[in-house]
Amino acid sequence: MFHVQNLTKKFDRTAVVKDISFSLEKGNCVALLGANGAGKTTTLRMLSGLLKPNGGSITFEGAEPGADIRSYIGYLPQYPVFHSWMTGKEFLVYVGQLAHLTKQEATERAEYYLERVGIANVGNQKVGKYSGGMKQRLGIAQAMIHKPKMIMLDEPVSSLDPIGRREVLTLMEELKEDTTVLFSTHILTDAEEISDALLVMHHGEILEQGSLASLRDKYQSAKIELAFKTFEEEQLEALKALPGIGEVTANRDGIICLVDDTEQARQAILTKVTQENWALTDFSVSKTTLEDMFMEVVNK
Amino acid sequence: MKQFMTIMRKEFLEYWRNFSWIWVPVVFIFLSIMDPLTTYYMPIILDSVGGLPEGAVFEIPELPAPEVLMMSLSEISMFGVLIIILLTMGTIAGERKSGIAELVLVKPVKYPIYITAKWLAKIKLFLTAFIIGMLVSWYYVNLLFDTIPFTDWLLTVIFYSFWLVFVVSLTIFYSTLLKNPGLVAAVSVGTLIGMSIINSIFSHHLTWFPNSLSSHILELHKSGSIPSELWGTAFVTIVLSIGLLFLSFFTFQKKELA
Amino acid sequence: MELAEVGELLELLLPLFILQFILMIAALIAWVKTDQTKGPKWVWLLIIILANLVGPILFFIIGRRQD
Repeated sequence: MFHVQNLTKKFDRTAVVKDISFSLEKGNCVALLGANGAGKTTTLRMLSGLLKPNGGSITFEGAEPGADIRSYIGYLPQYPVFHSWMTGKEFLVYVGQLAHLTKQEATERAEYYLERVGIANVGNQKVGKYSGGMKQRLGIAQAMIHKPKMIMLDEPVSSLDPIGRREVLTLMEELKEDTTVLFSTHILTDAEEISDALLVMHHGEILEQGSLASLRDKYQSAKIELAFKTFEEEQLEALKALPGIGEVTANRDGIICLVDDTEQARQAILTKVTQENWALTDFSVSKTTLEDMFMEVVNK
Repeated sequence: MKQFMTIMRKEFLEYWRNFSWIWVPVVFIFLSIMDPLTTYYMPIILDSVGGLPEGAVFEIPELPAPEVLMMSLSEISMFGVLIIILLTMGTIAGERKSGIAELVLVKPVKYPIYITAKWLAKIKLFLTAFIIGMLVSWYYVNLLFDTIPFTDWLLTVIFYSFWLVFVVSLTIFYSTLLKNPGLVAAVSVGTLIGMSIINSIFSHHLTWFPNSLSSHILELHKSGSIPSELWGTAFVTIVLSIGLLFLSFFTFQKKELA
Repeated sequence: MELAEVGELLELLLPLFILQFILMIAALIAWVKTDQTKGPKWVWLLIIILANLVGPILFFIIGRRQD
């Protein structure tokens, strides 16, 4: 329902966003994942209409032709700044009216969203007195006030403490019910936790995209982690020679074997261990994480 | 139109919350009556200080009332204009610099509406202060010097208002062009100084130059009717103000809100 | 100077004192309400109280951090 095609942005001839294309499905929660400086903020600012792209197009399915795209979008910058002399509620009513709500509608929705994001108790206090977490919640409320088809959140949790972070993530999870969510983050676990799909961005390009499940499928392989009471170099060699086992590496905690066929490898390893009478202290079968995938894509 | 009113109401709320509605008129009253009062009381003050030797006659020529009223204008054209610039410099630049503009402009706000609403809000604030100041000045001039007909006073206020509108427009224009409010103020003051230099050098050729508004207003008091130069100057000032406003739309639209 | 003149002078200047008083009170209220000032807050209190007229105006124009 939302398509971005060949979007490009240059600052002083340096391309910060290079020819990116992607689409978002209605009701999805998509994470724009990338290290600092990957071009995430620039991308979101173009999508929200704050920056003009040097090339490419942004289209909304169902948008009236020539309509102001900003009517369909809610945006939360990484560091939202409010008029500190206004109360949270006043600010929501203000931006709601700017988004063509009547005063009454704006007031009703302001009250609703203050409740929804959990700051109804401070709704009538000056924003100047808000904590970082409260401002972030107010920021989410202002992005939602005109019921946009999509909201974009720039690093919504990165400046929050663990509790605030948990609360905002839960809130975003709930927002998925109402609207499409696109948020940027440099933390993979946040992305994994609530998003349905990922856009992996690096040096201004989108290197990989797809649903979480499909990316897991594509990049994940099984691995078996082993630990012994005593570690000897020959164990590594012996393991490498077993059938169904690929790469074998050792680290502080033990040995990691990437395996092609989990069942075969498991039997082979256990047989070997029994034969040699190695003092096995840990044995676990698991999968490589998306973290590994992320590193792989970025280092390509 | 609804957006326009929303933004303007928000500006007025801000003027209440930061006391602008109180202190700006008070300061304009001070500026307006300082000169009429000191001019009238100068002889008495000098006398009481006892600076004059016995028998020395210190003649202070009686000033005609219109000239005293013009003194109020000249105070406003200095300090009043400076205050206007300082309070207007951040209108756009400040909101951009602090990042508030981000949250406002991701809403479907038309840029010309955003700028014009702020422009008009500022003008309402300053003209209110100016009119109150001039009313008090008029009262004192009538009391201490000579009667100035109401229509003369009214025309003075109306025509001089155009100059203040011009100052607001100029500052807002720079405020859309530059991101640093301090720089906006400096460039605005610089432009006004430049204009007054040009005016003093070429005043004979540039009879319609905005800076000559007050000298034409003085003519109005002398002759009792509106001189044609005043119409012309007012016209030029209005056209320049509106031109600057449109130029502001243009620069703002072109500027990225980064 | 005649006593009558002094009386007249005071009567005419009274509005000025009242205005100055209003200005200072407004500045003091604003000072109390402001969380952030440019420079130490107590210095601004001295400026508002000691520098007649100019102090409150300066505080209103440049004293407060506001956004």
